[in-house]
Amino acid sequence: MGGGRSGALPASPLADAVAADPATDYTLDLGAELAAEEKGSGRDTVASSPFRLGMRRLRRNKTALAFGALFIVLVASSLAAPLWSEHVAHKAPSAGQPTDQIRIDGKLTDVVSVDSIPIGPTWQGEYFLGADGNGRDVMVRLLYGGRNSLLIGVFAALITTVFAVLVGLVAGYFRGWVDAVTRAVLDVMWSFPVIILGVALGVALALEGFELGPISIEGGSKLLPLLIIAFIYVPYMARPVRGQVLSLREKEFVEAARAQGAGPIRIMFSELLPNLASTIVVFFTLLVANAILLEAALSFLGAGVQPPETSWGTLIDSGVERIVTAPHLTIVPGLMLVLTVLALNVFGDGVRDAFDPRAKVRMEH
Amino acid sequence: MRKFGKAFAALSAALLATGVLAACGSDDSDSGGGGGAGKTGGELKVAYSSQPDFLDPALSYTVDGWAAMWNVYLPPMGYKHEEGSTGSELAPMLAEDLPKVSEGGKVYSFTFKKGIKFSDGTPLKASDFEHTVKRVLNLESGGAFYYEKIEGTDEFAKAKDPAKADISGIETNDKTGEVTVTLSEPDGTFPAILGLNFSGVVPSSTPFKNQTSTPPPGTGAYKITSSEPNREFVLEKNTEFKPFEGVPEGKADKLTFEIIKSLSRAAQDTIRGRIDAMHDPPPADLQPTIESKYKDRYKSFTTQSTYYFFLNEKIAPFDDVKAREAVNVGIDKPALARLFGGGLFAPGCNFLPPGIPGYAKVDPCPWGDPNGKPDLEKAKALLEESDYNGETITVWGNSEDPTQKVTEAYAEMLKEIGFKAEPKIIDGGVYFATVGNEKTKAQTGFDNWFADFPSPANYMFLVNGKSIQPTNSQNHGNVDDPELTSKISELEQNPDPSSVADEWAAADKTVIDGAHGAPYGQRKLTAFTSERVDFENCALVHPLYQVDYGSLCLK
Repeated sequence: MGGGRSGALPASPLADAVAADPATDYTLDLGAELAAEEKGSGRDTVASSPFRLGMRRLRRNKTALAFGALFIVLVASSLAAPLWSEHVAHKAPSAGQPTDQIRIDGKLTDVVSVDSIPIGPTWQGEYFLGADGNGRDVMVRLLYGGRNSLLIGVFAALITTVFAVLVGLVAGYFRGWVDAVTRAVLDVMWSFPVIILGVALGVALALEGFELGPISIEGGSKLLPLLIIAFIYVPYMARPVRGQVLSLREKEFVEAARAQGAGPIRIMFSELLPNLASTIVVFFTLLVANAILLEAALSFLGAGVQPPETSWGTLIDSGVERIVTAPHLTIVPGLMLVLTVLALNVFGDGVRDAFDPRAKVRMEH
Repeated sequence: MRKFGKAFAALSAALLATGVLAACGSDDSDSGGGGGAGKTGGELKVAYSSQPDFLDPALSYTVDGWAAMWNVYLPPMGYKHEEGSTGSELAPMLAEDLPKVSEGGKVYSFTFKKGIKFSDGTPLKASDFEHTVKRVLNLESGGAFYYEKIEGTDEFAKAKDPAKADISGIETNDKTGEVTVTLSEPDGTFPAILGLNFSGVVPSSTPFKNQTSTPPPGTGAYKITSSEPNREFVLEKNTEFKPFEGVPEGKADKLTFEIIKSLSRAAQDTIRGRIDAMHDPPPADLQPTIESKYKDRYKSFTTQSTYYFFLNEKIAPFDDVKAREAVNVGIDKPALARLFGGGLFAPGCNFLPPGIPGYAKVDPCPWGDPNGKPDLEKAKALLEESDYNGETITVWGNSEDPTQKVTEAYAEMLKEIGFKAEPKIIDGGVYFATVGNEKTKAQTGFDNWFADFPSPANYMFLVNGKSIQPTNSQNHGNVDDPELTSKISELEQNPDPSSVADEWAAADKTVIDGAHGAPYGQRKLTAFTSERVDFENCALVHPLYQVDYGSLCLK
């Protein structure tokens, strides 16, 4: 790859040269912009790639880092669910009966009263956050539910990212009928409100499952909401990626690559993709937050994670009927959801400010 | 009818719809007035949480539909507007008398009362009955199977024009009002079939189409004057109706049934008086408050229902009686009762519910006190004696409330006694068809039944070997005990179950002793009205149709 600017990792000599001369008008050169700003601040940026510069900026954003750390704590606590379940609560997530009893202040108490009202938080190992209507430990179920919510959120975002980038690259690079067809399909998907499309697919597939050739997914599988969410968000990322590719493909470094005999695949993946890296990173964090929210919404509406599996959405749904007599059943998973999405959004904003200071990236619904 | 449904009523219309029988002689506050006293006139509003499946007597197969329509469409036979056992005895309605039975239970004849008119003024004719049955069959109603026993229904089904086709087994005489029905084989339950809501007579001019948006005229105390699906439907007094024994004139001039999806809103509206009666039980959150604060206008009653877990005797592990016994010993009935919310469940041992002829409380219960803790050690020992080889068993249930909770709790109970059990929750609309399909090979799962008519036969067919079919089987446990089957089949031929009550009780005992399923009790439902309603004198709870809205009156 000769004189093309590969933007992100590692920085090419030309990129460095451009970065050293901010007067040059390479508008999409993020590295140049960042480097220019960094230079203005008196730092030595000649040897820094845009990625390193972005990381440096991110490190300076303490708020974003704090919320990033909070997200890691939430993930870690969900991953530690079996430890809590086995060593602290001594209860499996599905274990428990309404007639089970617990000793509180030396007194044996039913975990669900005769009037069917479950106990609230005990702040002790067993039933730390109280019981649900079936006499199950809310804390254990919350942690296990979190695993599903986070797993679906992160993996759905990953799948969306992979597909959206591929679609955006192909459509933007080839233009013509490929672009026209892709854009039409994306526009049709975009035209459906996220929740409506999610509920429609979720309800339809939850009953019969999904079968396409050798691929077969059972009705109640967690894979279904994961794939549905991944599918729904593809246009939300593919369209901006396509837009960037359309612009990038006209740049000189692409011309140069082409002149040197590089084929479309090579140009897309070696020249264009690295230039999209910061956009992808920023989008990914926002996508995770949105995917977690959508999973919760779909599960709340019965079109996401199917029982007996749990997620924060299903926990909120099953707690709603007890919102007056046992508010902890909805408040606790709701709070976890708020914290996770808040953490991801603040961190995502930090990432965007660090990697894409012009803030072109937005999740639009 | 299979379940007490709300949101899925429309979906379950085909076969698995809802139905509720209110109880008599139960141990809770079954007080409340009869239909005689109370002020007449005025307008009352009733809240339904969902639109009834149909407002067409040929099609409706839900408690929501039947509760509203039994005041509109009178069948030849039926049930008096009375509480307790009187209300569950079959009585002549449009017919002069109960049917005369001949030819060993194959031929049933009755004569319509003279001078009866539909709400549009058309006089009732005997041939209207044949048209009514034709509609049930032609529209492929969920209740069509009840009428397929009539001779000539196969030929009728093949006919191109149902209006011109004849059912050879039904002979009518418009001049005398006589009707003779010939069955292809004897059936002692046929008089009760003549009392089903499906038999609610409609005029011969009623089209062979679902009439929910323009309900046909009937002969009852009320007529449906407006129907806006999913919003409201209105019943107004039928001026052509003349009261007779057991069927009084309606109290309110107008009954508006509003569809209010949120139970919470409906309960708040009833508390404030915007709504006069709540058809569904209040939401679990508000139920304790309502029970304590508004006890002068709230009561619960035990329904004639049976809740049980089916245990598939055709396949492992429940082909082994020890495994079935282990389940019966190991299930925690008081724990299950708490899942129904606010004490709205009565744990029990029998398969037949109290109030049904043939019910004889099995005491002591061979599996332990239904209100006590289960003997887990005994259950574990029984399971060890069985051939259970430790494979994972699937526990079937649906996503409706409280079915899902019950299924999940049941799976945990099975785990506690040594099974490897995993719940499988599917949509309520397809649940009973799925577990009733032999290909599903459902090992065990949630089951319940609310009778279509108050007879032990309408419960015991659930464990009759003859009810096993490849699809849409109602015998989900594939219970095929030859002795039990022949006993049930013999008793079914007797049109008066009370006369063979002891034998029905013995059949019930056989179901329990053979652990043919794991019954755990009866559902309770509620009556809750606004302050305007004279709850003490006018809130009649019928054993078959629950709260009789025609009996509700203002103070």
